[in-house]
Amino acid sequence: MSSETKYAKAFIDTFGIDEAKLGGLKYQDIDEWDSIGHMNLMTVIEECFDIEMDIDDITDFSSFEHGKTILRKYEVEI
Amino acid sequence: MSQSPLTFDSVGILASQRNRYPLLFVDRIVEAIPGKSAVGIKNFTYNEWFFPAHYDDDPNVPGFILIEAMVQTFIMTFLSQEKYKGSKTNFVGLDKVKFRRKIIPGDTLRITAELDSFKRGLAKGRAEATVDGEYACGAHFTVSVPGVFDKFIPKK
Repeated sequence: MSSETKYAKAFIDTFGIDEAKLGGLKYQDIDEWDSIGHMNLMTVIEECFDIEMDIDDITDFSSFEHGKTILRKYEVEI
Repeated sequence: MSQSPLTFDSVGILASQRNRYPLLFVDRIVEAIPGKSAVGIKNFTYNEWFFPAHYDDDPNVPGFILIEAMVQTFIMTFLSQEKYKGSKTNFVGLDKVKFRRKIIPGDTLRITAELDSFKRGLAKGRAEATVDGEYACGAHFTVSVPGVFDKFIPKK
């Protein structure tokens, strides 16, 4: 599975949404991406890519697109 | 070498968690392995404030109080750790709830709780309770420690 597919699947599985909703998706755009959903998403992404994100990156992870930029710090290219 | 289990009397429980009368529903923690599990005891007598109201002709413990007794034992799985002692907690998720036995005055509830995960102030786990060895109720919980959790919420 490619990194891009794994990344998208983390959102789809955590929030139970369709792939079509991912483009432009931001924190709190949908009910499922609230503060609890955010912590669940961070855990899934960390397990998926075998990384541990810093607190600043977790609070900065505010959209589907920006998350890709953050993951580059951890040598995850999407 | 593994740490010996801890025990907490009512004073120890009050020092560890923030629930107070009339909403404290665990009397004693007979065994806590910090970061892993806890076993709590709750004795119900007719002097409980809710029995005359639920119900006058058939006193039994309301379901929400059984949930509280279980979650208050559950939070001792992590509040038994010195770094979280005395923290406030927020109940954020409840799942797979089962009630299988009526609890009446004179019953002693023995609650066994397990912590499945604790990350960034978000605890997930489960508890089940018995009376005289008979299964009474169970549930899965998600609880946050806002003092930790809030530091990880995205800035908008």
